[in-house]
Amino acid sequence: MNFVHDGLAKEFEHVTREGERKHIGELFESGDALMQEIAYDLINGDHEGVDRLTKQALEDGYTANAILDDGLIAGMAIVGVKFRDNLIFVPEVLIAARAMKAGMAHLEPILSASGVEPLGTIIMGTVKGDLHDIGKNLCIMMLRGSGFIVHDLGVDTKPDEFVDAVMEHDAQIVGMSALLTTTMPNMGVTIEALEEAGLREDIKVMLGGAPVTESFAEDMGADGYGDNAIEAVDRAKEFVGTFSEDGVNPD
Amino acid sequence: MTLKETMTSKERVMAALAGKPVDRPPVANPTNVMTVELMDMVDAPFPDACRDPEMNARLAATGYTELGFDVISPYFSIIQESSALGCDMQWEQKDNWPTVRMTNPIWKDEDDIEVPDDFLEHPDNQAIIGSIRILKEKYGDEVAIVGKTMGPWTLAYHVFGVEPFLLMTIDDPELTLRILHKLKVVTVLFGRAQIDAGADILTLPDHATGDLVSAEYYRRFLQDIHVEMVEKLPVPLILHICGKTLDRMGYIAETGMAAFHFDSKNDPAEAMEAVDGGITLVGNLNNPETLYAKGPDAVREEVYRALDAGVQMIAPECAIPLRTKLENLLEIPAAVKDWSEENL
Repeated sequence: MNFVHDGLAKEFEHVTREGERKHIGELFESGDALMQEIAYDLINGDHEGVDRLTKQALEDGYTANAILDDGLIAGMAIVGVKFRDNLIFVPEVLIAARAMKAGMAHLEPILSASGVEPLGTIIMGTVKGDLHDIGKNLCIMMLRGSGFIVHDLGVDTKPDEFVDAVMEHDAQIVGMSALLTTTMPNMGVTIEALEEAGLREDIKVMLGGAPVTESFAEDMGADGYGDNAIEAVDRAKEFVGTFSEDGVNPD
Repeated sequence: MTLKETMTSKERVMAALAGKPVDRPPVANPTNVMTVELMDMVDAPFPDACRDPEMNARLAATGYTELGFDVISPYFSIIQESSALGCDMQWEQKDNWPTVRMTNPIWKDEDDIEVPDDFLEHPDNQAIIGSIRILKEKYGDEVAIVGKTMGPWTLAYHVFGVEPFLLMTIDDPELTLRILHKLKVVTVLFGRAQIDAGADILTLPDHATGDLVSAEYYRRFLQDIHVEMVEKLPVPLILHICGKTLDRMGYIAETGMAAFHFDSKNDPAEAMEAVDGGITLVGNLNNPETLYAKGPDAVREEVYRALDAGVQMIAPECAIPLRTKLENLLEIPAAVKDWSEENL
């Protein structure tokens, strides 16, 4: 790591796990002052700062990919660690997400036009009967920022809507969210619907949401569980790493 | 030896909430325990049973008559007041929960807050008030009737939307406080109406959960309001907050609430330590993994774990999935009685 921004260096002290220090530290290896300022402003939810600095970086000749990776995603990685370790909570994550959106508004048109091959296609939705979407939306933002195409089915998504979307978009991954213990069983119902439609063998399913646990995800027949948006990205990357080059699920 | 019960359900629950001795720990449900099986049993399905006082009372009573719990709780969801305030509702069907479409909030600013003059007369509030009257008349001597009134934090999620409200807490904390103080009027209004109708106890859900906000948030935004609710609602109050709450239980114990209904994400022994005798604990059987997905043996194990830790009232952690099996619910009072025989 190579910190030239004192505030960011202090933020990095919150990253204490060895593997994460190495991984996140590498994101700041370039020691670029402007990228580190963007990351710092994002961590602190300064959306006006991120908006202004992203615009400035593009004018200065930074590529959209560099700003995304070295500024926004690097900052969001520290936000993810702080959230997981209960150093910050959802309001603080929401203002960081708002700042990320401000930066992405400048980058997305450039990234879309660049024709970079996406990492994979994901269908995301909150399950039937559940209208909560904050966690799902954070995951979607991070997944898109990480190079996935994500089709957001919104809230209160019926099992057949997941099935139809997988077929329509030829998706490799389905991500489901639930906030209520009363609606969590609908995750299992949706997985059954994917099985009945003959799609289960071709896709990976990941679950998340405040009351969802890894063991519940296993019980429901999912392939993976993410405790937060960063983990959702990790799971999705692991999944696409398991697919063969023609996109076929080897399991 | 068979356990000799010397108290009625009502005496047992009221004593436990007052911190007095009981013949055995009560089995309570500050939130809903109704299931599709119970709806079929008494022909009172959702959503009609949430909106019609007669049907509501018929279904709610099964918690006592069929399941053997020590309370009757007729408010099954968390949305009656919000419906009366004009929120966009999704009433769903028998096997799913009625809910507020929080992605389509009705208010944006404090000036928008307006409680209709006929708020208490709204049919969805009258469904609960009317049901409490019926239940009080029929069961009031033997079992405690538990009403429910939403706290201002939960109401704010409904009327402003979760994300806009949480952003507001950072962008303008003073505005947030003013809004909470305006919304607490609804909590008091609906709570008092239920007390007047015969409620012996009120559950007060106010979802400032550790899954969303910090303990400092609870202290800063809600603790004083909850103290005020204790003063303004003259029956024992059971505060309900889902999710992780260990870090704020000390603050909660200082409010004067009679009890705190807590989630299975919190270890019962650690919870007892956190409240340090300052408040009665109610909980904390896991819903999705145990009551919904496992069998009676696992339910019994969790009941014993909570009682061994010293939890004073046993209950599912929150409203249960509507397809939860009756045999699992019936196991709760059975396990409490067996534990009491072995330990008291």
